[in-house]
Amino acid sequence: MSQVLAVDGLRKSFGDLVAVDGVGFHVESGETYGLLGPNGAGKTTTISMIAGLLAPDAGKVVVAGEEISVRSTRGRNRIGFVPQDLAIYPDLTCRENLVFFGRLYGLGGDLLKSRVDEVLEVIGLTDRADDLTKEFSGGMKRRLNIGIGLLHEPTLLILDEPTVGVDPQSRNAILTSVENLSSAGMAVLYTTHYMEEAERLCDRVGIIDEGTIKAEGTRRSLVAMIGEKDRIVLSGDVEPAADELRKMDGVVDVYPGDHRLDVMVTQASSILPALLTRITEAGGSVSGVEIEEPNLEAVFLHLTGKALRD
Amino acid sequence: MFHWATRLIAFKDLRLRVRDRSFFIMGILAPLGLAFIFNLTFGGVLQPGGLDLRFGYLDLDGTESSSSLGEVLEQLEADDFLELTRFDDREAAAAAVEDGDIQAFILVPEGFDQELAIGAPKLEVVGDIDSGTATDVASAIARQFGTGVDAARLAVITTASIMGVAPTPDLIAGLTQDPATAAFTANITGLDADIRQLDGVTYITAGMAIFFLFFTVQSGVLGLLDEEREGTLRRLMAAPVPRAAVIGGKGLLALILGVFALTTLVVASSLIMGASWGHPLGVAIMILTGVAAAVSLMGVVAGLAKSPEGAENLASITAVILGMLGGVFFPIESAGGALAAASVITPHYWFLRGLGDLAGGAPWTNAFPAAAVLIGMAVVLGLAAGWVLNRRFAE
Repeated sequence: MSQVLAVDGLRKSFGDLVAVDGVGFHVESGETYGLLGPNGAGKTTTISMIAGLLAPDAGKVVVAGEEISVRSTRGRNRIGFVPQDLAIYPDLTCRENLVFFGRLYGLGGDLLKSRVDEVLEVIGLTDRADDLTKEFSGGMKRRLNIGIGLLHEPTLLILDEPTVGVDPQSRNAILTSVENLSSAGMAVLYTTHYMEEAERLCDRVGIIDEGTIKAEGTRRSLVAMIGEKDRIVLSGDVEPAADELRKMDGVVDVYPGDHRLDVMVTQASSILPALLTRITEAGGSVSGVEIEEPNLEAVFLHLTGKALRD
Repeated sequence: MFHWATRLIAFKDLRLRVRDRSFFIMGILAPLGLAFIFNLTFGGVLQPGGLDLRFGYLDLDGTESSSSLGEVLEQLEADDFLELTRFDDREAAAAAVEDGDIQAFILVPEGFDQELAIGAPKLEVVGDIDSGTATDVASAIARQFGTGVDAARLAVITTASIMGVAPTPDLIAGLTQDPATAAFTANITGLDADIRQLDGVTYITAGMAIFFLFFTVQSGVLGLLDEEREGTLRRLMAAPVPRAAVIGGKGLLALILGVFALTTLVVASSLIMGASWGHPLGVAIMILTGVAAAVSLMGVVAGLAKSPEGAENLASITAVILGMLGGVFFPIESAGGALAAASVITPHYWFLRGLGDLAGGAPWTNAFPAAAVLIGMAVVLGLAAGWVLNRRFAE
């Protein structure tokens, strides 16, 4: 595997707000790297700098050996950029959209025609190729949005939250497509705030919050950071009991949320009855209980003290 | 001339415009509609004989100076702008107004020549209260005559001062053979030689054309902000093409829309209303340069606005203010002072000026001075637009 993307010390401020602060990571060919973080964590700002849309205050981005810059077009044809918004023209047909963006990336003639046909096949829209995209469902539009990024066979595919607002069936189709692309040797940079997507797709994950990467590694190595701990998610009128729970043996930490508590424990099954009793004694009431194995969300909670959805 | 990506983006937009029919609305229907409305509104009025003007003239002074006003009125009658009746006494003229035979009369009072010498000449205009427009026209003619007289008098006094003699009434009378006519004629001759004038129909049509041009190109340039809102701009900007080529694509679209709309209006107004635009090559130069300046100006507006809605409002306000200042509704030079001076900063003024310079069978090269100014505006504003738009999209 060869290194396709190298990001080093990226920093970007907007006035007093430091949106990205010293972000660095790399992605290799055939690897899917996930940037996992809540909304406002700095994911989109980071990939905007990687795609050459935004000039960093500091740091640099190298794609396939070419340094990416706002002022230069060098290296950009190695990148397939799929923005979070549906960047397609609703009054053009699916094929016209692909042809337009293909030309913009320098394709033409027979090569463009064959690439359009291939991409239509990959995104499963061959039979709707000549329909106006304004007649498409949300999922079909999302697939076309991704397809445009694949036209010129980029070395690096950047997907910015590609499944936002997509129905479960289309989401699964998109995730399968990304898995296939990665298997075919493409380097994929995937941003998401959905833990399940990161766990399914990504070979390595960078957990990003408040503009910095808090931790990076494979799912296994990240989960190992927090040890073999279970997470119990309690919902209801439970917040007043947080301090009481912290005093209990077997409770590692407690993270209060809005009408919920995320309780990290050494062994959920043995401590759960005592937890519920203590909450009742503290004047609280429980309306729901979930027990989760160690996962990336628990890692995020451990690292930042807040849930991904916050 | 244009980057391939600029052409690609412009033609993509053109295809979208054709598909949603806005190209035909902005490029054909709107100009044709305008030409049709102008024809209904102004078509007859602004041609010689279009207004029903029946004036009387009464010269009680009977001197050479006073008779020059009569010569001016007779010339206007010969040009078919009005119908003139001469009267010998005031009562007869007043009775003619009362009976509706004439709408107004201009009276040169006894002693006009002497009053002219001391700088206080007076003319009297009497009009029918129910013929306000005709009375206003008669008053305007009298005022214009008075202005010419004042200018001639001032020139004579100045000459006398240079000669080192006191400008007594006798001297003034001696030096001025026919001050009023001389000044009036000089005024008209000066206009003819210096700045040619479009006929009424063409002036109104040209004014409205450049006025509505700003709205036409606005829809093209501001498409950039629509793409920003829709999210497609990020994808365009991420492509391996210069950022200026992406911005230029919208400018090229606006240029095509503007040229098409203006050309349609010129052709339609010529065929339907008999508008006389001048040498086709000169008019083409004025259209191209006028549209280019408008596109650049709208580019600046797009770069300064915070949102597409804000840009539309700002663009409309800019188009209306510059249109008024540039003289699209009335010749701003007549207002004089700062307003007339300020009008030269507008593309509207230079567009009308350029077309005016082509009037009356003038050669197409007469368009060069105004076209050069418009090209200068297009370049300066285009650079400014590029800068503000780049800055906007960099953030």
